[in-house]
Amino acid sequence: MMGPYRIGVDVGGTFTDVVCVGSDGATLLAKAATTPDDQSRGVLDGLGVLASMLHITVAEMLEVTERLVHGTTVATNALLERRTARIGMITTEGHRDVIEMREGLKPERYDLRLPVPAPLVPRRLRLPLRERIRPDGAVKTALDAASLDEAIATLKAEGVAGVAVCLLHSWRDPAHEQAAGAAVSAAMPGVYVTLSSDVLPQIKEFERFSTTVVNAAVGPIVAGYLARLETRLTEAGFHGPLFVILSHGGVAPVAEAARLAAGTALSGPAGGVAAGLALARAGLGDNLVTFDVGGTSTDVALIEGAEAALGRGRVVGGERIALESLDIVTLGAGGGSIAHVGAGGMMRVGPRSAGAVPGPACYGGGGVEPAVTDANLVLGYLDPDRFLGGARSLDRAAAEAAVDRLAARLGLDRLACAAGIHALANVAMADGIRVATVRRGVDPRGFTLLSFGGAAGLHASAVARDLGMGRVAVPLLAAGLSAWGMLQTDLRYEVSRSLVGAAGLPDEPAIRALFAELEAAARERMAQWMAGDPAIRRSADMRYGEQVFEVGVPLDAVDWDAEGLPAALAEAFHARHEALFTYALRGEEVVLVTARVAAVGRLPPLPAPLLPEVPPAAPVATRRAYVAGAMADLPVFAFTALAPGQPVAGPAIVESDTTTVLLLPGDVARLDARGWLEVVVG
Amino acid sequence: MNETPDPVTLAVLENRFRAVVEEMGEALLRTATSQILNSSRDFSIALCDDQARLVAQADHIPVHVGAMPLAAKAVLDAFGGGIAPGECYLLNDPWHGGSHLPDLTIIQPVFEGTILRFLTVVRAHQSDIGGATHGGYNPAASEIWQEGIRIPPIRLGEGDALRDDLVRMLALNTRIPRDFTGDLMAMWGAARLGAKRMDALLASHGGARLAAAVDAILDLSEAHARRIIEGWADGDYEGQAVLDDDGHGVEDITIRARVTKCGGQVSVDLSGSDDQVRGFVNSSWPNTLSAARMALAYLLDPEVAKNDGAFRALDLVAREGSVVNARPGAAVTLCTSHCSNEIVEAIVKALAPACPDRAMGGWGRRFRVAIQGTDPRRAGRRFVWHLFHARPGGGGHAKGDGWSSVGEWHSAGGLKFGSVEMAEARFPLFFAHHELRPGSGGEGQFRGGLGAELDLRIETAGAARANTAGDGVRHGAAGMLGGEDGAPHHYTLRHADGTERDLKTKEAGVVLNPGDRLIARSGGGGGWGDKAARDPAAIEADKAEGYLPR
Repeated sequence: MMGPYRIGVDVGGTFTDVVCVGSDGATLLAKAATTPDDQSRGVLDGLGVLASMLHITVAEMLEVTERLVHGTTVATNALLERRTARIGMITTEGHRDVIEMREGLKPERYDLRLPVPAPLVPRRLRLPLRERIRPDGAVKTALDAASLDEAIATLKAEGVAGVAVCLLHSWRDPAHEQAAGAAVSAAMPGVYVTLSSDVLPQIKEFERFSTTVVNAAVGPIVAGYLARLETRLTEAGFHGPLFVILSHGGVAPVAEAARLAAGTALSGPAGGVAAGLALARAGLGDNLVTFDVGGTSTDVALIEGAEAALGRGRVVGGERIALESLDIVTLGAGGGSIAHVGAGGMMRVGPRSAGAVPGPACYGGGGVEPAVTDANLVLGYLDPDRFLGGARSLDRAAAEAAVDRLAARLGLDRLACAAGIHALANVAMADGIRVATVRRGVDPRGFTLLSFGGAAGLHASAVARDLGMGRVAVPLLAAGLSAWGMLQTDLRYEVSRSLVGAAGLPDEPAIRALFAELEAAARERMAQWMAGDPAIRRSADMRYGEQVFEVGVPLDAVDWDAEGLPAALAEAFHARHEALFTYALRGEEVVLVTARVAAVGRLPPLPAPLLPEVPPAAPVATRRAYVAGAMADLPVFAFTALAPGQPVAGPAIVESDTTTVLLLPGDVARLDARGWLEVVVG
Repeated sequence: MNETPDPVTLAVLENRFRAVVEEMGEALLRTATSQILNSSRDFSIALCDDQARLVAQADHIPVHVGAMPLAAKAVLDAFGGGIAPGECYLLNDPWHGGSHLPDLTIIQPVFEGTILRFLTVVRAHQSDIGGATHGGYNPAASEIWQEGIRIPPIRLGEGDALRDDLVRMLALNTRIPRDFTGDLMAMWGAARLGAKRMDALLASHGGARLAAAVDAILDLSEAHARRIIEGWADGDYEGQAVLDDDGHGVEDITIRARVTKCGGQVSVDLSGSDDQVRGFVNSSWPNTLSAARMALAYLLDPEVAKNDGAFRALDLVAREGSVVNARPGAAVTLCTSHCSNEIVEAIVKALAPACPDRAMGGWGRRFRVAIQGTDPRRAGRRFVWHLFHARPGGGGHAKGDGWSSVGEWHSAGGLKFGSVEMAEARFPLFFAHHELRPGSGGEGQFRGGLGAELDLRIETAGAARANTAGDGVRHGAAGMLGGEDGAPHHYTLRHADGTERDLKTKEAGVVLNPGDRLIARSGGGGGWGDKAARDPAAIEADKAEGYLPR
């Protein structure tokens, strides 16, 4: 492999995946155990494994590494485990319970005894500021210095690590927030201070405040982690730029990820979607369902017309984060999902998971309940001696014993029980995809199921069949695809501005001025990150006069140089509304609520060589596995030995060191020279 | 009797049935026209079998769930063998399978060949249903004809199409025909989507096998529910809950529940409740049955599937002519809030000694206010604004304090209030204060959740008018097992000159002048257990956080 290198690092729950792409397009995947106490150690471990695969030292490797892109779950884990920083909040007097009232909503409709979660900021540290701005920007009550001093004195005495400044109508005029934030920063050096008008300058206080509070709560942790990682990398010899992939799928420098730490909440799974987009561009197809099966869960996202859907409704660990984020749906079924008899007497798979520790019974870590991976082993789909290329051997007897215990309770034999576990996992995944796609108004049948993550290949064909999807793709790099995807995405920075109060649409000069101002801000930020001209993407949140909820309207197709901009914007909205809700009201007033501009800085694309022509490969082994209701001898093919275009008919198994693909009767698979196995589902 | 499917097939089918109703709900959410459906989500979905038994439901609005099978049954009773493939049915009348008139229900039959196998059911609250007042809630109504258009089961569609003439006739009877028609189409679309998914299941499994699976699923839920109930102390219990008034002069309307718990069965008799009244707090039978089922569902584990099997563990009696089983023609529109809240509360209260760890303090009552006026910033433009802010609190329970600001028994944290910033930008209203209401949660070992306080200033051009509909200014959410009641609602109207008066829960045409303030203090949830047993540290924490007045 030739330098310079680009390295993607994806920190998962169990493994840290490190993918290196050389200047010749050659690709290497290294794996190291994730180190939950400080993820940066695992990252360095992974780089060490990679360097040894390259037969050079880490310093030599990093010396010629052009860029490093990182996906981190530090913010996600802090929220899920509720180990966030101790923070305070300064907010408009009379409105300090916005984050605790949660717009009147509570999860779990029928669980009236659900414990109440502690807010990220306790009420006594939500400190009132005497001030008030009106929605038109008029100052109703000037900022009262005494109430600000009092709040700062309390926060100092409490020794908080972060402060969220959240004032009503700061989307319209941030002056009070800026003044308060400056005073806090001056009085409390080293404390992480974040303003709602900076994090999410748009109307609707719950979304804005909640996002800002999350930012304050994970900001000190993420900033500290990234600083440690940078230090370790510098010490190891890396001097290139370190980028972090954000929830929206674009990347940004470390300083930006630390400033907008709440925007890293989906940093982990975002790489998989970025990979899907890259493969769509490479010719896999414009319409994909990304299907990333991990140990505890399965992440699903839609790519439609070679674009990934973005949303603003994300909830992580019960906390609302309204930043632009990939619309990734997480299903509670993965390789570690445990099969059991539910309280109602029904056989169930998941959502409980064996996790990394103890793991499925076959890991020999003390697990006694059967997980999906145990069932897959019992059914013969996995080779116990070659799991992860032989890095881990699986204990078949332990898997059988775990399955047998459940089988006895259900009055089934071992194979029927294991097949049932496998089938129920498939059904949970298929039903999850069906509900996720209908939510977006999409029929999955015209889509390709892009399967990755270690365990997807065993379920993809059955899931696709169930959904009526005719095509499955499994990349050669399936087990490290997210890390690879991080190297395929671009720099992205988004600015927005709400514009409520005036009825209807602003006039043409006002629209131009608004978008021009946003564009200038986005370009200025991007110029700090890279040289060159960024692509500008405009969109707007719009609604009809009497509606309450806005619709996000992409405006890339609008001709910005033509006259009649308001009419063009209105028509873009009507068309979008019609596409989403089957009707448009062209006689109704159209209201523009929030204007958005994203600057996208294209990073140099990676070379993508085709796989060489080789003679067709014969099966490397035969394995007894369960197909169509009985055990049968299945040919096993080595994924990397297949010739491009060589047909492999199911039933068969195609496997590499890191992934196994189960082909069912009727399936025909062919290796595409661009790097993926394409399965036409029978 | 069909042969029971193997455990794997059974589990697969149970998943499938649930996925079908969830998918129907997503489809309706995505396509509905009116705000009440696509943002407040006031709708529910069910799948019933050919005997109108509830097979699966999606978690939406609890007060709808137990009533939907009665709608399916009403269609079977009215049309029986005359139901054909490609048809669809509609109803709303409380004496013909409905609960109250604003809730329309669409029922779509699913056939295997010529054999009826399933019914998909979609129930959705309409933003208007005709009648004397906008939006359906008419405190002045003394009979159902003043509350809106009544629809018995009708064949709304045939040959895979809706009958245009019927749709136009219905739409003509509502104030916003466009919303009505759009929502009706969305409901029908969701029902048909569910039917399509069931067609596919019938094709791959066959109706006999699915019917056997339904039997087994319902039996498992029944056993699950009974297993839990068997753990409760047998005995005869009594509980009661009281409504303030009917708005027509009758006060302290009392719901009385006599509950016998024996083995795995709970028998509820509400016959001792007061006679029916003139105002719209009367309950229809389907609504009362649904409220009783809701009470049982809240006391069971949340994992118990809410279907016909689980509800077999409950039987219910209610005397005709009582407020919980009003005679045909009574005014009933408020019943999905009141008296359904009080029915739930009376039953939970009765069973509290039998299952103290499961009983929870009362959840708040509903007090809605609608304001109509003109915005000075938009000359001549009239607006209608509905108060969803100042949500009441939920009840305390054996595992902890109640949730604050989550609403009533009937929706249990499922109804959303909108943004203060957005409301100020779009309506001539100023939210001077909107915070939790300290001390409003009923005291107890675990206190009730807090209600909220709202100080809302009216900035309309000229006078505005308000209507109210609700209850609970005299009776707060009930304390349970020695816990104290939550504070009741206390809404006042403070005029610019400093004079003020308390607002009643059933008033029409209240005049609001610019500068007037609506001060809404919503009720807290009921407490659980003796307050003497409360951890002193929790009291200190409540004071430090300001949940209790210092």
